[in-house]
Amino acid sequence: MRKDGYIGRYFSDRNMKCNKNIVHKFVCKDFKLILFLALVAVVLIAPSLTPIRVVQAQQPNQVTLTAIVAEPKERWDALFADALTKLREKHPDTTINIDYRVLPYADTRKQILTAMAGKTSIDLISVDQIWLGEFAEGGFLSDLTDLTNSWNRSSEWYKTNWDGGIYNGKVYGIWAWTDVRAMWYWKDLLNQSSVNPESLKTWAGYLDAAKKIESSTKGKGIEAMHLVGASHSPDMWYPYLWMQGGEIVKQKTGHPEKGTYWFPSYNSTEGVKALEFLRDQVNTGIKPQINHFWGQEFADKKFAVMLEGSWLLGHFNRTEWNGLDKNVGMIPMFPVPKASDTSATMMGGWMLGIPITSTNKALSWELLTIMVQPDVLAPMLEKYAYLPTQKPIAEGQYSGQLANTIPYYKELISMLSIGHSRPSIAEYPQIADNIRQAIDEVYLGVKEPKQALDDAAKKSAEVLGWS
Amino acid sequence: MKVTLEARTGRIQPYLLLVPALAILIGFLLFPLMWNVYLALHDVSLTTILGNWKYVGLKNFDNLIHDHDFHTSLQVSLIFVGGSVALQFFVGMVLAVVLNQQIRGSNTFRALFIIPWTVSAVITGFSFKFIFNDSFGIMNYGLGQLGLAPVSWLSDPGTVVWTLIIANMWHGTPFTVIFLTAGLFSINPVVYEAARIDGATKIKSFLYITLPLLRPFVIINLILITMWSVNFFDLILVMTNGGPLFSSTTSSLFMYRQGFEFGLLSKGAAAGFLLIAMNLVLAYSYIKLLRSKEKTIEIRQS
Repeated sequence: MRKDGYIGRYFSDRNMKCNKNIVHKFVCKDFKLILFLALVAVVLIAPSLTPIRVVQAQQPNQVTLTAIVAEPKERWDALFADALTKLREKHPDTTINIDYRVLPYADTRKQILTAMAGKTSIDLISVDQIWLGEFAEGGFLSDLTDLTNSWNRSSEWYKTNWDGGIYNGKVYGIWAWTDVRAMWYWKDLLNQSSVNPESLKTWAGYLDAAKKIESSTKGKGIEAMHLVGASHSPDMWYPYLWMQGGEIVKQKTGHPEKGTYWFPSYNSTEGVKALEFLRDQVNTGIKPQINHFWGQEFADKKFAVMLEGSWLLGHFNRTEWNGLDKNVGMIPMFPVPKASDTSATMMGGWMLGIPITSTNKALSWELLTIMVQPDVLAPMLEKYAYLPTQKPIAEGQYSGQLANTIPYYKELISMLSIGHSRPSIAEYPQIADNIRQAIDEVYLGVKEPKQALDDAAKKSAEVLGWS
Repeated sequence: MKVTLEARTGRIQPYLLLVPALAILIGFLLFPLMWNVYLALHDVSLTTILGNWKYVGLKNFDNLIHDHDFHTSLQVSLIFVGGSVALQFFVGMVLAVVLNQQIRGSNTFRALFIIPWTVSAVITGFSFKFIFNDSFGIMNYGLGQLGLAPVSWLSDPGTVVWTLIIANMWHGTPFTVIFLTAGLFSINPVVYEAARIDGATKIKSFLYITLPLLRPFVIINLILITMWSVNFFDLILVMTNGGPLFSSTTSSLFMYRQGFEFGLLSKGAAAGFLLIAMNLVLAYSYIKLLRSKEKTIEIRQS
């Protein structure tokens, strides 16, 4: 007997035994079975290890467009359904379908990037405004400049909204709809506290009102003012920076690699003053809220005053929209240092872009343009209380309809003129994280505003390649 | 000729049997690991992934070693893992021993205790986020009812990691309970009977019979819960996203944020590699401990 271990001996013995009773000349039945199982395993595993992409066979006149978009799903269902009907009408000889995946916000960026890195063919994606720079820099988005030039609708967009889709002078996304942050308050709670809503408009008045409301709501499970302490806290600080003329980043010459490039400018005097106002709020007794429920906390009457996006309306039942202004007030601004100052706000919203991997670019562009057509887009905006980025909807025939349905629509629209957007640069997520850290340090009293911002700006400069 | 072929097939057979397992290991473990190393040695971010990958040697590891935030994340990991493992193990052991007594309904309790482990970490995170909400959470409400001051569970850098440990303890302890219960079942009751006849108290039986015989289970349990705690990040991501001020950013969350939030794939890969190294060192230490104890027992028995 061979002395090559237990397993070797076992199989050797098995083969010898098999050999005595075999039908086949060389191999026994067991061995055949084992080989078969091994083969099955290899067949099962191999496809997952090879980059072969199985492409569904399609009829010559059949096209399926693919898309990745961010939740909530219902808005896309409505938009895609209407747009697809119109697209099919334009192409009666082709059977066109749309296969779209709706993902939670947090997963959308990751999934899109993974798909792009893997060169997966996708025809349309929803792009958050802050992702555009990163996606464009990575070469994931198709350059739409020539298409938009021949489309000839760019002048119908508000300049800020059109510019939001541009990166390095090229158009990569069409900003479909937007949202603005405004000041919301419960009228009865302010009345009980003898606070005039007008007083909320200035920094001093806001802090004073906080004290009054706090004393009248104490022990009732209601906080006076909402202050964001969650990861998007920079978004609620930028308006205070912008309203004083400050900027998050500025172009600067002398970059070691790029010549002229972005440099952090948020640690300016304006930035420090803006952060001092947040510090003053904390000192007044306003607690930064680590958890954020995007307006639900206000709708639940847990806060008397909240600076929140226009999507807050979505937390109220649509049947309540008609008489909402009786209970809930809205001031279309962020508090300003002095009453004579002009306020500012931040705009968000979604853009539509065509990935570089799209295999149906022409048709995707056609679909995109239909989706942003006023007659297709306006009904969806009306239903979900989103704000338009294009004048024909905001100021044209649809404006009356939107104003009748969406509470405070006109006031919200008026904020577009003071709306700013965050920089569309690849390094933005890290810069925002640096600012978030500075805000946290001030909230917790670890650093003074200037020191916190200077330290954050130093990190941001490194991130931007200034070292 | 016939014999030669049979001998050959006999020699090949064991290796063929290993093919499926090896294919899975190579495809899903070795290849990603090597790819991770390759990524860590280049300068790749989400914006350069489709371009040329610049070789940078150990620069990413060097950056990581000199990154203050990474140091903080290691400290946070140490507290989080230490606290989680200690509490999960202690509470799990107590519950397993108590449920192993002849008490009514112990099987029902065992079934109930496993529920937290079956709940996903994300759902656990969201639940505890509500429970520990500084302003409206049930914990502070309860403290208020008792006349106590509210605690900043999630917004105080000194408290937040302990809040996460409590949440992780709730989520992870059932595994220890089940695992150690299996170990307790494997101990022959005759041993306890003999000890009782010899006059051993329950505490002495636990210390001199239960613990030594349970040792292999304890070590494996410790290896598993330690490694899971080191790699655990979804609950933390949901509850705090690493804040405030990095005070709840563990190394695994640091790695995730570098790779997927900031798009710094190479830095994330380097952090991931260091995490693997940490896991291996921990597992090796535990196994070494187990073997040394086994040797001691063998020597004593001989």
